[in-house]
Amino acid sequence: MSRRIPPLLIGFAVACHVWPGPTCVRQAAAQTGLQALVMEGERLWTHSPDAGNPVACATCHRDPAMTRGWAASFPKFKPLPPPHARVMTLLQANAEAVERHYRLADPLPAAIAITAFLTAQAAGVPISPGVSAGQPVFAARMQALAASVLRGKHLYAGRCGHCHKSFDLAPSATTFPRTEGGHPASLELFLEGHRPLQPPLAWDGQATADIMAYLISQAAGRPTGDHMYRASTEGKEGS
Amino acid sequence: MIRATFFAGLASLMVALAVPPDATAATVIMGTVKNEAGKPLPGLALLEKGEIHNNVWDRGTLVGADGRFRIELPEGGQYGLHVYSSGYIYSPEAVKVETGKTLEVKVVLDPEPIRGNTPVIKKAGFFPWEARQGKVTFVKVDVEDPNGDLGPQVLALNAATGRAYALNPPKRITDLKANFPNGIYQLEVDTSKGPINPRDWHFVVADHQCNTTDILSFPHEPKPQKVIGKP
Repeated sequence: MSRRIPPLLIGFAVACHVWPGPTCVRQAAAQTGLQALVMEGERLWTHSPDAGNPVACATCHRDPAMTRGWAASFPKFKPLPPPHARVMTLLQANAEAVERHYRLADPLPAAIAITAFLTAQAAGVPISPGVSAGQPVFAARMQALAASVLRGKHLYAGRCGHCHKSFDLAPSATTFPRTEGGHPASLELFLEGHRPLQPPLAWDGQATADIMAYLISQAAGRPTGDHMYRASTEGKEGS
Repeated sequence: MIRATFFAGLASLMVALAVPPDATAATVIMGTVKNEAGKPLPGLALLEKGEIHNNVWDRGTLVGADGRFRIELPEGGQYGLHVYSSGYIYSPEAVKVETGKTLEVKVVLDPEPIRGNTPVIKKAGFFPWEARQGKVTFVKVDVEDPNGDLGPQVLALNAATGRAYALNPPKRITDLKANFPNGIYQLEVDTSKGPINPRDWHFVVADHQCNTTDILSFPHEPKPQKVIGKP
């Protein structure tokens, strides 16, 4: 499948080649780190870290054609057993699955890596919260998502809206997971640590999912994981 | 004669217009169950009514040796389809069936790589409640999970009636994500109109990690659970 590289990125790549300044060096380091994160996610997707339980994500979800659209469909309603069913971000859903299936004491690092892998797999797929290609759409789930977006709108106005217009911020919200300073970064963790004077948010909480549902709803139609695509393209160009 | 024919034709037309064309058509979910190599797999197909994983079990059927199953539904809507075959990890899928239409699904199951974590149905039995003079019969299974993460999927199918059931755990649990205990799970069945026929009953258990027992059918004598290699 051919994908068009945005002209701005071509210009950026050429400029970095001619004069590899600090910005380019940081960018390259971040993309190398991102590739490593995606690879770690693929490893965790295909191999269970628990030798005593070799069932991995890919044991059941082995068809990339089926999983390719997943990242584009989040945040969405996850039908977990009651009373846990709710709107979740992809990271939250992965953390829940990692905790349940892999039984890791801290599911977050593995969940971020798997989220990066799935986001890279979905690179270029238009963002469509609640809707996965080839899967039925359920009215009750979409209603739950709409309610989450509405809650997120109010939360955003109270917590973030004084400094950031949501429409301006929405594109940035789609550039996670990524690496910052060599460390994996997620929007959920950013929200948890941002605005410490406000009541705390939990990265795995409903309020975080609501704010992200609101932000991502304004990015609907944009390509998923555009930064991932850039990373993979530049990685191939450099090899 | 001409007048009679005219009125008969008019009446037929009115009836035809009054009744939607698919109002009498059955609402059906049917499908095939295979392994990755395309080999048909027998087993069970069980449905939750409504949202998947809500533990509201409704209907079910046997999957034949040809890997085919068919379940007729009273109405369309949202269902959680779960398919089981001995030696394989069960497959859950949320489906939407439209009233008066047939939904066809293709299910591919993967074998369990090891059975060391797989729950075991140690025995199953049928016990008429003497105090109720046989009007109620307890269906009981003794379940053990080596890694202690049983969930609500301790299931039974009465193939004669097409009813699927979740058996009640030894103690009441409201959080369906909690680890359910090992022990005796049971179900009260109304047998006022006739006794249970054990030949109709099939059992299967899956834990929170999707490890799935072999299906226990009549005569309900458990056998060692084997690993089925990748095709």
